[in-house]
Amino acid sequence: MFCDRIRDGDYLYRHSVHPLSFHRDIFDQSRLFHLVYNAVSDAILGSLAWERFVPTHEYIHAYGCRLAKKRNDKKRAEGKLNRNNRQIYCGAYGIRARFVRALVGAEELAEVASADITHVVEDGEIAHAELKIVLVAGTANVESTKTAILDRLWNASCGPLTHICDDDDDLDEHPSANLSIGRGGEYVDNRSYLSRLWCVVRFHLCSWLWRHGYLRYK
Amino acid sequence: MGNLLTKVRLQPLAVVGGSDVPKLDTPPKQLKDAAGYTYMYESANVAVSGAAEVSITPRSEDQLLRMTFSSVPIVWQSEINQEYQELGEALGEMTQLDEGDEWKVDVAVCQVACRVAAELLANSFPAPRIFSHGPKSLVFNWSRGNNNLYLTISSDYLSALLSSPERIKRRIEFSTKDMLEPALVFRGLLSAPPEQPVVSTSKATSQASGFVE
Repeated sequence: MFCDRIRDGDYLYRHSVHPLSFHRDIFDQSRLFHLVYNAVSDAILGSLAWERFVPTHEYIHAYGCRLAKKRNDKKRAEGKLNRNNRQIYCGAYGIRARFVRALVGAEELAEVASADITHVVEDGEIAHAELKIVLVAGTANVESTKTAILDRLWNASCGPLTHICDDDDDLDEHPSANLSIGRGGEYVDNRSYLSRLWCVVRFHLCSWLWRHGYLRYK
Repeated sequence: MGNLLTKVRLQPLAVVGGSDVPKLDTPPKQLKDAAGYTYMYESANVAVSGAAEVSITPRSEDQLLRMTFSSVPIVWQSEINQEYQELGEALGEMTQLDEGDEWKVDVAVCQVACRVAAELLANSFPAPRIFSHGPKSLVFNWSRGNNNLYLTISSDYLSALLSSPERIKRRIEFSTKDMLEPALVFRGLLSAPPEQPVVSTSKATSQASGFVE
């Protein structure tokens, strides 16, 4: 089914949000991916957005703006929102699924037993995909492995696709100007008009199928 | 691709005796973090005052390594001092973030990180960028060109990783015990980068040095 399996050539997007992806207001690529170790599954997890459900730049950025808005709303509700921790979506970087899967067998990464990306709707975001890297049993230094993985992910990332959300047009200086070019180069969308149109149609079809319960796979 | 060890042999340290060690500008005598811990640098000793007391005995390797770092043009020492001051403050702030904050770091990890930072400062290493994977680790990061050097610091381990865009070139793991042997760590770092010595080669601009993008 073309709505569930993430193919090797598919793009996944990682959204950059200020201040999380920045250090002293300068973009820090090491902070782009946030990897979390889950002891239950003995795996390292991360979040991305699958192109199947963000078929154009507008959808990619809408996802990023919602991401920042949700975090701001949460902090506001807790009475903790201030100028320093305001979340500002800056843009997205793309990485092809094949680069994630290539972590298995990569040089100096012998502790990676498997690496994959699966479509897992989360927090109401239909485009959410879960990065899951299972480690060889007995891996002692998981933190070091995280560093190695994010280094590989950044080196395969291309972009950025910068954007200013409507919520942030009050800023005199938007931090998106400080994003740096991904190690994989600039993101180039070389799809034809018809191809993009097909992607949008497919997105609406998949969304419809999802919302009506035809895609409730694990 | 050049061999770093070859480059290192080109440095003055290979021909200058210990008594001829060129003097560095005087580094600050202490690195203080926002949590109130003070990391003292005295001669070739590093002592941590606060909850714990740690001192490191000077070794001949330390002197050689200091020479290695000091024997090529480096960023202004005052600039390095300022950056490490900010680093110490940033480390302390990361321990004080709310539970659940993505950049929250355990105090124990921060203490080890400050100890490592004090050693880096004592060796006039450019200040790193920092990030964390969560409360259990901190990562120091330097970039030069397309190469990246990471030092992943947890309460139990210290790991160095050198990478290029194409591959991970080298990973070195150290135990907590090794953390108290900084010369060992620095030897590992020095032997990792392939083309140039691990120091900056020009005056820094907005970031620490030419070693940091």
